[in-house]
Amino acid sequence: MELSEYVQKGFQMLADPGSFDSNAFTLLLRAAFQSLLDAQADEAVLDHPDLKHIDPVVLKHCHTAAATYILEAGKHRADKSTLSTYLEDCKFDRERIELFCTEYQNNKNSLESLLGSIGRSLPHITDVSWRLEYQIKTNQLHKMYRPAYLVTLNVENADPRTYPKISFSCNMEQLQDLVGKLKDASKSLERATQL
Amino acid sequence: MLLDLSEEHKEHLSFLPQVDSAVVAEFGRIAVEFLRRGSNPKIYEGAARKLNVSSDTVQHGVEGLTYLLTESSKLMISELDFQDSVFVLGFSEELNKLLLQLYLDNRKEIRTILSELAPDLPSYHSLEWRLDVQLASRSLRQQIKPAVTIKLHLNHSGGHNTSILQTDPATLLHLVQQLEQALEEMKTNHCRRVVRNIK
Repeated sequence: MELSEYVQKGFQMLADPGSFDSNAFTLLLRAAFQSLLDAQADEAVLDHPDLKHIDPVVLKHCHTAAATYILEAGKHRADKSTLSTYLEDCKFDRERIELFCTEYQNNKNSLESLLGSIGRSLPHITDVSWRLEYQIKTNQLHKMYRPAYLVTLNVENADPRTYPKISFSCNMEQLQDLVGKLKDASKSLERATQL
Repeated sequence: MLLDLSEEHKEHLSFLPQVDSAVVAEFGRIAVEFLRRGSNPKIYEGAARKLNVSSDTVQHGVEGLTYLLTESSKLMISELDFQDSVFVLGFSEELNKLLLQLYLDNRKEIRTILSELAPDLPSYHSLEWRLDVQLASRSLRQQIKPAVTIKLHLNHSGGHNTSILQTDPATLLHLVQQLEQALEEMKTNHCRRVVRNIK
């Protein structure tokens, strides 16, 4: 993990009981996780009465440093020993290291979930709806008498505002072909997971 | 059900008895070819010269024949009804037989062509799939994220459309389940009754 001097300096300040007492340390740590994981969090996350006595510049620096480190650790799936080593280098005492690791462990799943969801992907199918109709006639062709399906795929795109739908019609043979191919795919998937 | 032929139409068709059956058969072939590929006015000129008539006459004859065939195919009229409809034109028995044969031989293909004129929704052509496992991304390493990538081929208004989509294993199973239900629906009593009774 590559971490800048800025982050290291921030952590060194965080390690100092003179700048951050136990309570302030815990609050700042929680604030860092909250900023990252809580969708509704904003700047008010640092507006706690027990943090008021600390210089806002220092507060911001440490908050940013902690958040940066948490993201890097999450990205690389850091384990407890990696975390401990780095925090020791930043002169954290045993108690603070334990606190950090516990807090990290509590938030690990949400963090990894969040990081995993970032990124570009192909349009993602989320649902399907279908309609079966019996075609009787058109103005060009009478006495048709055949069933037809209209299938609509709900698709989620990278851009959260667009939810395009892909619709198409097909007859019975075509739908059987489609279902057959999808079943092949899911059987392959099953086999692959058993390897 | 009898065909309703207008006076103008009957007039155009009146050219047919004036030529021999080989020519009528040829006109029939041209009519169907024009339905398949669109009309080609040059053909009218060539035929007009050979038959020593105006190219308009040839054109009307072919168009009249085309309309006769398409209307009959569209309504899917029975042999008997076709014969009765053509009877009013006062043609020879040989010509009537020829026209009936033209109708029966080409009906299926003409109906296929007519079905392409219906309001067009994209229709299914085929589907390709691929199994992928995402191992890492810029924001998260050491992942095992299975996904199915799908290339859906659709036809629309003569053109070919391809969509590349992705889905996860759970949704894939859901899709299969939903669409299998759709297929099952045709076998239910309700649907069978409708199919049996609407003729």
